[in-house]
Amino acid sequence: MGELAGIDGFLILMAISIVIGIVAVLGGVGGGVVFTPLMMGFTAIDSFVIRATGLLVAMAGSLVAARPFLFRGLANIRLLLMAAVPYSIFAVIGALLAGYVAESFGATGDAIIRLSLGVLVVGIAALILFGGKKVEYPDVSNVDSITERLALSASYYEQSLDKVVHYKVAKAPVGILLFCFVGLISGLFGLGAGWAMVPALNLVMLAPLKVAAASSKVLIGIGDTAAIWQYIMDGGIFVNFAVPCVIGLVIGTLIGARIMIRVKAGFIRYLIIGIMVFSGIKLAWDGIDKLRSGTEEHAGIIINSLFDGVSNLI
Amino acid sequence: MNNESIPKPPLAGVLYGRICYWIVLIGIFISIIGMIIYFTSDGCIDRETLWQGIWSGADKETLWQNNCTGEDVPHGHWYFGQLGDGDALAMLGVAVCSVAAVIGMWAAFGATVREKERVYSIFALIVAVILTLGAIGIISFH
Repeated sequence: MGELAGIDGFLILMAISIVIGIVAVLGGVGGGVVFTPLMMGFTAIDSFVIRATGLLVAMAGSLVAARPFLFRGLANIRLLLMAAVPYSIFAVIGALLAGYVAESFGATGDAIIRLSLGVLVVGIAALILFGGKKVEYPDVSNVDSITERLALSASYYEQSLDKVVHYKVAKAPVGILLFCFVGLISGLFGLGAGWAMVPALNLVMLAPLKVAAASSKVLIGIGDTAAIWQYIMDGGIFVNFAVPCVIGLVIGTLIGARIMIRVKAGFIRYLIIGIMVFSGIKLAWDGIDKLRSGTEEHAGIIINSLFDGVSNLI
Repeated sequence: MNNESIPKPPLAGVLYGRICYWIVLIGIFISIIGMIIYFTSDGCIDRETLWQGIWSGADKETLWQNNCTGEDVPHGHWYFGQLGDGDALAMLGVAVCSVAAVIGMWAAFGATVREKERVYSIFALIVAVILTLGAIGIISFH
């Protein structure tokens, strides 16, 4: 492995990340949600380092994508600012929690993180596969007073229809609660959280699907920035691993976005679900395995101390 | 196109998007320069030892062993004091990428104030403050 410490290793890692970026975009998910479970499930790399890099990868891709979405009015800046408050606060709490678990619980903490992430990733895959049917233009008949006062309705030019779409948004208080949970998961596990934000914005707050997707992409950049600094300050970023991954994922995302216009992504979507289920099960299994060996180790220590105690008594 | 004109995007969003995009690209460029230097000379951490350590699953304490900062695990902005090293310069690039949304959010705050959107000024201010406190290391595990 040492001979790959130079430019060769950098290029190989970048190429792998480009592939992950392309596949992720074609499957309709962010790069981070494929990168983190895949790296944690199939490499020996420390989970704290992977989560820090996963967060960086998700953040960079999202920040680069923000410009066209905001310029075309697809991402609703008011909706973003409203959701960014709970999301960023809880992303920081999640990242602090990750640092605490890594420092205080060592291998057991790592095992718990792997197990929970494994279960979460399988859950996300199930949500993508069986989750409620997304609605392109939800019908908003009732807007509560808080949402009304926040004036979240907006409009954008929809190229495919050649017309301006005016839309309303509902249930802002429920949305705020959901963003607290999403932020916590994002900061703790180092995932971009588009998989949770798009349904929250589209199915709960009734924003049009394109607005929900664009707003969630921009929002990931804000929340992940809040969380990434905890990992940077805690020495979790190593440039010879992080830089090729970030560059590769950004390039892969840009290439994937171009290919997406021309290919049918149905097969890729199932491929992504397959990868996620496989990585999730592997991660959960690793977690259980580590927890079991940790327990055996602890049990061994307890038995040895008892034995020593009895020997001393005798 | 229909008789309706294309809606003008809010200034806060346009500013935020532009600032983030360019700062991330600048950050990535700095990181690439840093990595080139790292590959051609010594860095703050020995490249081969670090690479082997990462892939063998070593934790961050082990990975930071024998680094140039004198700390076991450098907390905070360690790279500022070591910018002659390629890896520290690359890390500066990562930090520049990570500061993009901080600067973008302050710009969005300025724009919402200018457009007299009081509630959204407060939201933007809260987020900008959280991001800034994180970036300068005040909100930190240590």
